[in-house]
Amino acid sequence: MPYLSQAERDYITEGVQSDLRADGRGRLDYRALVLETGIISQANGSARVRLGDGTDVLVGVKVEIDQVEPDADNVGKVVCNVECSPSASQQFEGHGADDLNNELTQALQRVLGGPQCGINFEKLCIIKGQQCWIVYIDAMILDYSGNVLDTIFMATKAALFNTRIPKTQIQDLGDGEFEFEVLDDVEDAERLDGIENIPIGVTLNKIGTGHIIDASPLEELCTEAKLTIAVNKDSQICGIQKGAEGGIEPGLMSEMIQTAKRIGQSLIQQLDQKLQDEEQQVDEKRLNGENIEKLGFFAMV
Amino acid sequence: MDVQILSPEAPSKSNSHKNQNAMDVDGGDVQLVMPGETITSDLQFMRGHGTYLDSESTVISSVAGVVERVNKLISVRALKARYTGEIGDIVVGRITEVAPKRWKVNVNGRQDAILMLSAISLPGGIQRRKNEEDELQMRKFFAEGDMVAAEVQAFFVDGAIGLHTRGHQFSKLRNGSLVVVPSALVQRCKSHFHLLPCGVHLVLGLNGYIWVSKPVIGNPESTDEADIERTYSNKNDIIDDAERESIARVCNCLRALARKFMHINDTIIIYTYEASLKYPVKDLLKKDVVDSITSEASHKLTME
Repeated sequence: MPYLSQAERDYITEGVQSDLRADGRGRLDYRALVLETGIISQANGSARVRLGDGTDVLVGVKVEIDQVEPDADNVGKVVCNVECSPSASQQFEGHGADDLNNELTQALQRVLGGPQCGINFEKLCIIKGQQCWIVYIDAMILDYSGNVLDTIFMATKAALFNTRIPKTQIQDLGDGEFEFEVLDDVEDAERLDGIENIPIGVTLNKIGTGHIIDASPLEELCTEAKLTIAVNKDSQICGIQKGAEGGIEPGLMSEMIQTAKRIGQSLIQQLDQKLQDEEQQVDEKRLNGENIEKLGFFAMV
Repeated sequence: MDVQILSPEAPSKSNSHKNQNAMDVDGGDVQLVMPGETITSDLQFMRGHGTYLDSESTVISSVAGVVERVNKLISVRALKARYTGEIGDIVVGRITEVAPKRWKVNVNGRQDAILMLSAISLPGGIQRRKNEEDELQMRKFFAEGDMVAAEVQAFFVDGAIGLHTRGHQFSKLRNGSLVVVPSALVQRCKSHFHLLPCGVHLVLGLNGYIWVSKPVIGNPESTDEADIERTYSNKNDIIDDAERESIARVCNCLRALARKFMHINDTIIIYTYEASLKYPVKDLLKKDVVDSITSEASHKLTME
């Protein structure tokens, strides 16, 4: 467990109070992001997001065919998993990351596992009562410098935007029997339905009497309480999770939720714009027959 | 709220591959090598740290770093490595553990450094042996998490660094924040304590930990009651917004220099600070601003 001295704690708290944090940002300033999608060729969709000069998240989406659960009403499902690489931080070595892995997996699953995530789960069903698609979302934390959960949400949204599901062709064999075939053609693969409604998370850290977004590791250490709010593009709330030990006053709580809604919506707009621009560039290159070069891990840090 | 969302950049094509098997370290050019890269296949050279020999006695690098040669001995100094101390080094560390008669200090080394109770100075510069009473209230001097500036005094048998904080310039650190840079970037200088013209105090730890703060007022050597209390105080002085902004600006300048992998000393910090003045502090985190201020500073440095 990393420590922080009393003097540093006071310095950071006062900084939040006077709207000038240790790195010169205001309370509601985000660090720059670096984003790239489609870097894992074996996955159906992938994205890597880096935040500031630290936090690095890689998300891969893989779709698989499985049996429909007997008591579920002909729907597919989303299964999330988050894992922290032991090389990301000293505190993740050995079993050090187990709790955090669980916490992050749960947080992601709670938002994306239900109808609030906007994905049309019925469309994931291939044959009623029999087979459906399962969307596996795997996130890996490659480097840690604060605000991981928000970064995971953004990377997940980007990876799902990038995801293509193969088309299926159903054959009616009569007697209520069906069979289907997965079409291999990449051109035929289509996007998940409802992708534009996927929410992102905005974590607000309460330090002193103020609250900040995009906390650095040192700021996370002096956080009294934090609230992660999942917001979609229409600034509807899709989930709230509270973290850390401290309490939040009711007045401050509603203020934090309002802030999260505003910031979430603006973040989604900018993220969507970036994703569309990137896709457009790739499409243009494909049309011109140019080589599409993904940098992936060869990118400059 | 605006957020910068960028695309990754391709690494710049380097021209370091001009000498594959040749050995021209003396040319003044820095030779950067990757693990597994052949440094030389000339039989006359000996292998040093960071290298190994293959069956045909070619010297191959085992780390990513800079090739260094002393006569016939070739070694590679890693770009990213833990701090290995040398006696007399000024370091900045964080107390991780209070143990019997000693503190363990994180100095970014392979193992925690050790600060003995007998190696600290008492408030007010009183000269006496530390007794049992001092041992019982060690947390009054340093508690877990506290930042401290210290000097490397000795090495223990297991290779752990032994520190001391005797002398008025070494103390518990407060009034500011920590910036961590690669330890290879901090050069040994005459002094590692600097008061910049902008009124910001710096402790350049050779281990890559840099403490940026508002200078502590009062004479640390005085025996005045208030000054004695101040030595091991945890309370910050009152820092106004302008001072806070200067501290943040210096911190961001240091981060910018570290990002460009430039050597850090007081001169370059002042130049970078001056170049940064035309930007708001939070813009110093942006890549193009980082490029502009660091190139301006290094240009100024070469002009001298």
